[in-house]
Amino acid sequence: MQSEREDLEIEMETLVSSSQSAVKTPHVEIPHNVSLSNVAMSWTLSRLFERLWKNVKVVIFTAKINMLLPFGPMSIILHYLTKNHGLVFFFSLIGITPLAERLGYATEQLAFYTGPTVGGLLNATFGNATEMIIAIYALKHGMIRVVKQSLLGSILSNMLLVLGCAFFAGGIVHSKKDQVFNKAAAVVNSGLLLMAVMGLLFPAVLHFTHSEVQYGKSEVSLSRFSSCVMLVAYASYLVFQLKSHRNLYSPIDEEDRQNEDDPDEVEVPELGQWEAISWLAVLTIWVSILSEYLVNAIEGASDSLNLPVGFISVILLPIVGNAAEHASAIMFAMKDKLDITLGVAIGSSTQISMFVIPFCVVVGWITGKQMDLNFQLFETATLFITVLVVAFMLQEGTTNYFKGLMLILCYLIVAASFFVHVDPADGNV
Amino acid sequence: MGSVNGRSDNEFEDESLVSPDTLARKSLGLDRGQHGTLSDAEQDFSVKYLKSQLFRSIKVVLFTAKINILMPCGPVAILINYLTANHAWVFFLSMLGIIPLAERLGFATEQLAFFTGPTVGGLLNATFGNATELIISIFALKSGMIRVVQQSLLGSILSNMLLVLGCAFFSGGIIFIKKEQVFNKAAAVVNSGLLLMAVMGLLFPAVLHYTHTEVQYGKSELALSRFSSCIMLVAYAAYLFFQLKNKNTHDPVHEGGSQHEGSLVDEEVAEISQWEAFIWLAILTACISVLSEYLVDALQGASVAWRIPVPFISVILLPIVGNAAEHASAIIFAMKDKLDISLGVAIGSSTQISMLGIPFCVVIGWIMGQPMDLNFQLFETATLFITVLVVAFMLQDGSSNYFKGLMLILCYLIVAASFYVHVDPASVEDKSPQG
Repeated sequence: MQSEREDLEIEMETLVSSSQSAVKTPHVEIPHNVSLSNVAMSWTLSRLFERLWKNVKVVIFTAKINMLLPFGPMSIILHYLTKNHGLVFFFSLIGITPLAERLGYATEQLAFYTGPTVGGLLNATFGNATEMIIAIYALKHGMIRVVKQSLLGSILSNMLLVLGCAFFAGGIVHSKKDQVFNKAAAVVNSGLLLMAVMGLLFPAVLHFTHSEVQYGKSEVSLSRFSSCVMLVAYASYLVFQLKSHRNLYSPIDEEDRQNEDDPDEVEVPELGQWEAISWLAVLTIWVSILSEYLVNAIEGASDSLNLPVGFISVILLPIVGNAAEHASAIMFAMKDKLDITLGVAIGSSTQISMFVIPFCVVVGWITGKQMDLNFQLFETATLFITVLVVAFMLQEGTTNYFKGLMLILCYLIVAASFFVHVDPADGNV
Repeated sequence: MGSVNGRSDNEFEDESLVSPDTLARKSLGLDRGQHGTLSDAEQDFSVKYLKSQLFRSIKVVLFTAKINILMPCGPVAILINYLTANHAWVFFLSMLGIIPLAERLGFATEQLAFFTGPTVGGLLNATFGNATELIISIFALKSGMIRVVQQSLLGSILSNMLLVLGCAFFSGGIIFIKKEQVFNKAAAVVNSGLLLMAVMGLLFPAVLHYTHTEVQYGKSELALSRFSSCIMLVAYAAYLFFQLKNKNTHDPVHEGGSQHEGSLVDEEVAEISQWEAFIWLAILTACISVLSEYLVDALQGASVAWRIPVPFISVILLPIVGNAAEHASAIIFAMKDKLDISLGVAIGSSTQISMLGIPFCVVIGWIMGQPMDLNFQLFETATLFITVLVVAFMLQDGSSNYFKGLMLILCYLIVAASFYVHVDPASVEDKSPQG
């Protein structure tokens, strides 16, 4: 009987099976010599297995990107078999990408059950969970420069590459007209990004001009204070957004939702609430494990691949956390839903600069690491000019493919700059 | 004689603002009864008249504003300076003593503006609006404390742009939480442009000096600063001209506000007469000058006693003195939904200091032979640059809400914290002043 049930489950290769299994299970015969409790237990167990299998199928087997999943375990095996850090790094990079995407998916699913407010909060904190996890592992290993550069790279990638591709793709598809988006939200985000630049600029310039009270120590204290201020600012931004969300940010967004009869919104969530939470936990653990191997392999990879560590941290690492957001931003731009695209791209940048970076400083404070907001002059200057360029592009509330192309080309220039950038030997590493 | 005494008793008893008529009637009645030269009675009368006017003036100017409780701090500061060597107390008390004087100076300027008409009144406000900061700076300049001058002017700009504006936006936004407050974008944009021009004027000497790419190290950028200052003064004069010419054709938002405010204020008769306002202006300026001297002399001692870096005192604490009154009025106007006036107070003040105050100090330094220049050193210049950018960005869409105000206030906290851990390298800081 059990084997019969197992056969049934194995035959469930398609998505049609749920109705079949529902039909078939009542027909299972109860033999006389087996007690009712035994049957009940095996019944619930098999139900659990069924649900588990269905879950696994929905979460793991339905997204095409999950073909990359085996790379994760492979990188771990490689780590113990060979000393080739380059390969380990490369494989774990590819292995984390689908996990990051599924993490985003699980967060979305959970948001169905928690309502818009907590859902927004969830997205606001877990939206960049991958970057946060990688940063915290690097922090644990004392690789402070890698932390700073990877977070910086994430911001740059979101603001230039993701946004640029989205604008470009949307502009090409809708080349007859200029696409519009809600200016107010973009302006608030730009203001927050400028405030983040301010928070990063002062420690860097203080340190650079040797005008601190205690060389090297004052700017760590200043960084910690500024981080707390930035976290307060981010919290009030969330309050402001959620409270006045309807008044300020709705017009273009809501009309679209009402007009398009979006099939995504009408669907019932694909996972149950507890399933979503458990998947969230499982995926987070997986990402953490792979991140450990990833971070460990960075320096070795830099040697074997002949790339500066800065380039790897700023350009290659963020691809991992951003791949999924990248794809969805482009998709939404092509569907002429630019507000969502902007929310993904610029919102992510704001989140990293005003939440994740100060959060890492606070974590460093607690764990006794000297993590500060002094990103060194070159990185700070890069962030400054990028924020200016993007703020300027966004300020009039329209876009076209040319703006997108400009942003992508800017990103190429930034990438090239980091390709030829190393930290000075006497700088903070 | 007796009747004259009786009349003067009446005048003393005058607690309200009703007197002008009675006095006019009395003086006319007196003239009609006289023949020939001034008699003793008339002389006595005019002396008593002057005295009563004096007392009334003093009452209106000194005793009606609650902030004047702080006034005794001034003389006490002077006393302590001669009794003890406790610089910290002298500094603190002179700071407290200047605050009410600065507020009354603003009041006297406003009163004088009633008599001079809108054009000259606007000019008056434009030049004397920041008289306190200028006086403090000139005293510091006299003592050769160039860094203190630069930092206190910078701090005044930062405090106006971030703290005052932020508090105004925040309190206005909290009260009018249902809607977004709007203000005249055009004026804000012009002011932002002027501030950026000031940043340009400050940036070039600083970067030239820092990159050691001047023709004559240390001297070229002084000459450049003096030239740039003249240009900035010309720009400011043109801006005043532009503003005063276009005042009548300004858009409704601004005009509605000023008419409204004008009607409220103009209904009142000016509280003191033209000459009184003038005299009070002179007296208050003299008092402020006296106290500023003690303030500036006690600065270094206070920094040592309180264990705070001198830049922090110059950038954060000193501007509180000159700005306290403006701060309060900007918040009040924002809460009454008259954001244009708040902006005029806050951003207009910043523009005034950066395009008039700073170049003016450079010119004064030129005349005095002090090497005051526009090289504010890299950190201060970078601070001004990023602050002007942030504020220009916030103002560009012409609306405000409490979140923007909160962001500005938090930015000011970050700036203040940065200056708390900032000292000038030994090569740059002021050598100890004489006296």
